[in-house]
Amino acid sequence: MKVKVLSGDHAVAYAVKMCNVDVIPNYPITPQTLIIEKLSDFVFDGECDATFMPADSEHSAMSMAIGAAATGVRTFTATASQGLALMHEMLYVAPQTRLPIVMANVNRSLGAGSGIWAEYNDSMPERESGWMQCYVEDAQEAFDTIVQAYRLCEDQRVMLPLMMCLDAFVLSHTVEKVLLPEQAEVDAFLPRFRPLNFLDTQNPKFINIAVTPAHSMEMRYQLDHLMRETSSVVDEVDALFGKHFGRSYGGSIQPYRMEDAEHALITLGTATSTARVAVDELRKEGKKVGLIKLKYIRPFPHEQLRKALRGVSSLGVFDRSIAVNGFGPVFTEVRNSCYGMGMPITNHIAGIGGRDLTVATFKGMFEKIMRKEGAGRDCFWHGLRGDM
Amino acid sequence: MYEIRFHGRGGQGAVMAAQTIAEAAVYEGLEAIAFPFFGAERRGAPIMAFARIDDKKISLRTQVYQPDMVVVMEESLIEIEPVADGLKPGGCAVVNSKLSPNQIDLGVKARCATVDATSIALEMLKAPIVNTAILGAMARADDFVSIKAVKEAIASRFGEHLGEEAGRINAQAAQMAYEKVSIGESLAQRPITKRKMWLPTWQEMPPGVALYHEKRGEIEVGPGSSWQTRTGTWRTKTPRYLRDKCVRCARCWFICPDAAIKREADDHIDINYDYCKGCGMCASICPAKAIEMTKGAKL
Repeated sequence: MKVKVLSGDHAVAYAVKMCNVDVIPNYPITPQTLIIEKLSDFVFDGECDATFMPADSEHSAMSMAIGAAATGVRTFTATASQGLALMHEMLYVAPQTRLPIVMANVNRSLGAGSGIWAEYNDSMPERESGWMQCYVEDAQEAFDTIVQAYRLCEDQRVMLPLMMCLDAFVLSHTVEKVLLPEQAEVDAFLPRFRPLNFLDTQNPKFINIAVTPAHSMEMRYQLDHLMRETSSVVDEVDALFGKHFGRSYGGSIQPYRMEDAEHALITLGTATSTARVAVDELRKEGKKVGLIKLKYIRPFPHEQLRKALRGVSSLGVFDRSIAVNGFGPVFTEVRNSCYGMGMPITNHIAGIGGRDLTVATFKGMFEKIMRKEGAGRDCFWHGLRGDM
Repeated sequence: MYEIRFHGRGGQGAVMAAQTIAEAAVYEGLEAIAFPFFGAERRGAPIMAFARIDDKKISLRTQVYQPDMVVVMEESLIEIEPVADGLKPGGCAVVNSKLSPNQIDLGVKARCATVDATSIALEMLKAPIVNTAILGAMARADDFVSIKAVKEAIASRFGEHLGEEAGRINAQAAQMAYEKVSIGESLAQRPITKRKMWLPTWQEMPPGVALYHEKRGEIEVGPGSSWQTRTGTWRTKTPRYLRDKCVRCARCWFICPDAAIKREADDHIDINYDYCKGCGMCASICPAKAIEMTKGAKL
């Protein structure tokens, strides 16, 4: 094991190298560039035996990733914001074709009102595409999750692509201590890739055939069913990772001080770290508050979440994006999942476009949750100038 | 927990300095994180970087509002940024300046260390990138991390990016600054005023993400960030225009990367020193030697 001080982006690059990825199609975009630059260095210096393929756009990068994965090799790419939006069309091909591509998406707000800071309006719409989607909160978790991702995606029961999301700058460009395992440890955890669906000259077939209304429905249901079944594998892989490396993240969700919590907040990404400090401070004041980090939004951990929320009398959900004229997307997911549980559930939108999330921001959320406010629209914007 | 806030300009290496101090702390067996904050990605624009150091895992990922140490990478930032805002009682400031600490007006009486990091950088690195010299000064100003660890971190981080030799020279710059630091107490004469920002409510926000250059509540607003911040005041060389020699070819006007050269009606030029960064491309391209570069930030 080696101790390194790495940015979130560099932690991702180190993980990709150690996972012995074969093909890296890519197109650079702030704040993902550090990942691509580091991987480019690794390949150039001969530390990583991958084919590094600069593309002419993100649409092409994803097309190349799909093509590479369809030949049965381990594939990685990374993007952010507008880049992910440009990939949108091609994203839908990978899950249905059962190509276990791993991609890092550095969450950055999607223009107009173009900015380079963290917002989830790039990745959230893609949770409908059939990609697994998760959010990490520090550089160590970014490294560990990439390693877990290949094991998870390439599991014969899964064979789906995964998008790991990390916050622009607050994680992508933040350096911190990262423990890098030995190569042999990663190799022991990550078996050789055995593709399910690939182009084989010995056994010719079509993939991505045109389908008629007579087949589409079964095809779609198959994918929906598969994603629902996958949630338990997420937890299984995380537990196995824990056995190998001594670190685990609770799988799909990670509860914090939830044992006797009456009021809970659901967060994702780096917001979780700062929100934990808010929970600690409120606990010191005797408030029975707790936190759940929602790591995976696809597959959505319905059962795990409902179990963790037993005994909670009011719940808030943090969102870093708004589905216009709806709510924050995480809120919509959580409230659907918790239908019938009885407690009031409110939506707390903050940190849009990278606005700094402080301990006070999260205490403000808990104040509203504890007062069980939220009759009416149930959606609060924290730090907004001007009355809602 | 020890918290540091860096004030620098895009291109000075404040982010790298924050990362390096975090790495030094990890070498000392501590936990650390470091991260940047900037507006538009623009050379010369004021930026901040932050570092937190603790003996246990750090959960706080918010910006640093009450630092134990503020680091000012370039003296003229004191004029435009509230650098000492929120400085903890007993905290200290490290300022890149030729002046002695008791001539530095931070707006608050605080322990203050000054070092002429620009001269050290120009001597050692042949470029005004002051971050490694500043790191040496930081190690002297407070005892949260040793100069030995700082030099190791510089050798590792800069070595990895720029090669072993660059790592060694940068570590030497840190050592030189460490030795040359003067420590005293800052002045508290100026008021600490936050930079005026136009902060509209959602009702006041102009429709269509459109914004003309105009004044709102006495504040210049407009596209980009340079209306509010003069990005040129930290240059180390300044162009002098010799009007008589000018042949009015306008090549300097064309090549200036910052549009800091204004073309007059008769094709003579005027240099805007608020934004000129002293890169010298105008002097270099001039066929008549009508622009000469002089030392220092002012003519």
